[in-house]
Amino acid sequence: MQSRRATFRSRWLPYVLLAPQLLVTFVFFLWPAGQAVRQSFLREDPFGLSTRFVGLDNYTRLLQDPGYLNSFQVTLVFSVSVAALSIGLALLLAVSADRVIRGHRSYTTLLVWPYAVAPAVAGVLWWFMFNPTIGILPYLLDGLGYDWNDRLKAGDAMILVVLASAWKQVSYNFLFFLAGLQAIPQSLREAAAIDGAGPVKRFVTIVFPLLSPTTFFLLVVNVTYTMFETFAVIDATTGGGPAQATNILVYKVYQDGFIGLNLGSSAAQSVVLMGIVMALTFIQFRFIERRVQY
Amino acid sequence: MVEHRPVLTALAHAVLILGVLAVAFPVWLAFVASTHPSTTFLSGLVPLWPGDHWRETYGQMFGTGISTSGAPPLGLMMGNSLIMALSIALGKIAISILSAFAIVFFRFPFRHLAFWLIFVTLMLPVEVRIVPTFKVVADLGMLNSYAGLAVPLIASATATFLFRQFFLTIPDELVEAARIDGAGPLKFFRDILLPLSRTNMAALFVILFIYGWNQYIWPLIVTTDERLYTVVMGIKRMVDVADAEPQWNYVMATATLAMLPPVLVVVAMQRLFVKGLIEQEK
Amino acid sequence: MAAIELETLGKVYPGGVEAVKGVDLAIGDGEFVVLVGPSGCGKSTILRMIAGLERVTHGEIRIGGARVNEREPAERDIAMVFQTYALYPHMSVRQNLAYGLRNRRMPKAEIARRIATAARILQLSDLLDRKPRALSGGQRQRVAMGRAIVREPAAFLFDEPLSNLDAKLRIHMRGEIKQLHRRLGTTSVYVTHDQLEAMTLADRLVVVNGGRIEQQGAPLDLYRHPATTFVAGFLGAPAMNLFDAAVEAGALRVGDAVLASAVAHPGGRVTAGLRPEALRLSPDAGGAFHLDYVEELGGARLLHGRIGGQAMVAQTAVEAPVAERMALATDPADLHLFDPATGRRLG
Repeated sequence: MQSRRATFRSRWLPYVLLAPQLLVTFVFFLWPAGQAVRQSFLREDPFGLSTRFVGLDNYTRLLQDPGYLNSFQVTLVFSVSVAALSIGLALLLAVSADRVIRGHRSYTTLLVWPYAVAPAVAGVLWWFMFNPTIGILPYLLDGLGYDWNDRLKAGDAMILVVLASAWKQVSYNFLFFLAGLQAIPQSLREAAAIDGAGPVKRFVTIVFPLLSPTTFFLLVVNVTYTMFETFAVIDATTGGGPAQATNILVYKVYQDGFIGLNLGSSAAQSVVLMGIVMALTFIQFRFIERRVQY
Repeated sequence: MVEHRPVLTALAHAVLILGVLAVAFPVWLAFVASTHPSTTFLSGLVPLWPGDHWRETYGQMFGTGISTSGAPPLGLMMGNSLIMALSIALGKIAISILSAFAIVFFRFPFRHLAFWLIFVTLMLPVEVRIVPTFKVVADLGMLNSYAGLAVPLIASATATFLFRQFFLTIPDELVEAARIDGAGPLKFFRDILLPLSRTNMAALFVILFIYGWNQYIWPLIVTTDERLYTVVMGIKRMVDVADAEPQWNYVMATATLAMLPPVLVVVAMQRLFVKGLIEQEK
Repeated sequence: MAAIELETLGKVYPGGVEAVKGVDLAIGDGEFVVLVGPSGCGKSTILRMIAGLERVTHGEIRIGGARVNEREPAERDIAMVFQTYALYPHMSVRQNLAYGLRNRRMPKAEIARRIATAARILQLSDLLDRKPRALSGGQRQRVAMGRAIVREPAAFLFDEPLSNLDAKLRIHMRGEIKQLHRRLGTTSVYVTHDQLEAMTLADRLVVVNGGRIEQQGAPLDLYRHPATTFVAGFLGAPAMNLFDAAVEAGALRVGDAVLASAVAHPGGRVTAGLRPEALRLSPDAGGAFHLDYVEELGGARLLHGRIGGQAMVAQTAVEAPVAERMALATDPADLHLFDPATGRRLG
């Protein structure tokens, strides 16, 4: 941990300054997390009258539960699709914005505002557009001979939540790509141009490799986003359905815990998720250390 | 742009214009829907052009709300959202700047432990520990209260790290000059550190206000009292009408107004927003 | 104003590095003392201990006769000028000057009076409402000095205050600091690694090396009678030639060449010191000095060469003739002799 030379001396002040943050952290973060870990080794009887220690039983049941394994698969498909779609579109837009000289600030303004839209609201907007009876998109698809129904078809439901989540995330990725592109020295592109590389070749051989740290960083951030923050998108649209087709891991924790009241299983799922966030955070921080050298 | 290629530039403009339209389209549809009477939505297809029924829709929403779908008046929900967003943003900024000040400007036992405890919160998003956190809030009697809405969310590792990062760039000699000028730690904090942190606080405020305004799952589970509904979760309540199609004009009016404040904040403070977003990840 | 006394002052850092090793120094009331030495020699640590920014490991610091070891910097009645100036970036020049006074709850009228006086002395009157970022390097430096002056402290502490200025401005500000001290007469402790700055500013020069005081005294005394080879080599530019030599029957020999006679030394191996301007060269095909190259300084010329395999620099007038081989002589009075083992001055 970096330190500085000049500091103040006080025996009690730093603790007082830290107290509010640590109090909130302990009461609302660490204690509940600890409870989740504890709960994951216990099982309540159906009437909630007694609990007993069951060891790793909640975990082994989880791993044998086809519903849970399905949720893993759903999460994977969902995360990868959202990340790929939003990163791809953002890169295309950022490269275009980097190329135009006139109006590039206005374009930025017009592209970044969806960041401010709540995931739940984004979900409702797309849900409305895809409404099988009155939505505009099913109407157009019908013209193409496709019968859209996200309430019955698993694939349609997945496409809906992917689009809603990616729509919101493009703005974020766009900003980071644009910042990354603008950090590439103009002289480098000029040198490549003098070396005979055209715009496409320059992008493939010079620009994209230099953006790879940004891309990797965004990949991690986007996966984290789709794994946790898209809870609201799912809840406001498909509710995990139809037939568990969009029941991602965080949503299942909530469903099993709040609606199914299966506390032991929900707690075990929480613990698994904490492990995943830790891994993602670790990757992100390792990466930031590396990024310093670029 | 290295060489003059009008075709490529035109292509870039075309991509951007398409992007802008695609991004705006869902919101345009929402706005349009909010300006038509609910009967329009029985006929089969949503209109693409605004109607003339917006006064009635918004009037109804701001006036009495829709009791049938359990939504209180919009003004109340937006007020709740504002209280929640401001409490979370200001609360996070306040406790984070104090913790960062302690960690950077003092040497004390357990300093590293405190740093790591704060760091751990990064790995525990509320969605992951939702059930036990709900139980803690319930046990503390904080359900259906503003405190219950905001306090559990105000611990912030990212804000603490941002301030810490900024504090580390403050030259040692500035601190020493202040000590010689007779400024103790609190005076230094108030007279020098706070004014120097203004831009960082503003940038962080933009991000955190959006974060707070857009909270969904947390208000959904800690409030059952309609008077405490926030606008983002209120939409969910309106959509969840049993066995019936939602009243789309009201839902979309609410959605439009739920988007408005955070979008305005981003557009109005674009520079601060970009700074806050990009520096948060450093 | 006050005298400052350091008694067996020492500093050991937590890692075990001993930065200052038992320094004794008495600084008189109104004296301008310069601590000079290479970077890492401990001079800044001494200054920072006087300021109270660095804890004292052992020994004692007294300001105006009172022990101050345990006092906070603000309670020591000192003012400091930093290398980076450390101006508060969000405050105007006026607020920068006033901050330390306001913290001492000085009446507003008195603050205004002191700022006006300091601003007049330092020609800052037109800049009082500007922010530091709107000032040039020299102006910032003057604000930093102004912040010290308004305090009217017992002592000024300067920590390499001119190092961030370009060469021309540095010389100009050197003059201003000198004038300021003549005008205010405040006790000053000044740290620099620049020996020329040290020589020109100091009433008393303290050469610090390896955490110890190597030698102290009037600048000219140190220049003329360096107590060690370190001081001899550190003061003066171009630096003094230091080379291995032997004294035999009063003659200073380097290899076969005799550089001086009638040297007052019983005989034996020595480290000899000769300033470049003390060497007299004349063209001589059999001379001991082998010329390598010539540096023109404009007013004079430096001849770089070797004698008996050892490097030697001589300063000569531009009119003087130059040759590949030259004979070399010097006045015994200009000769410095040091013990080759300890580096201490002989005689």
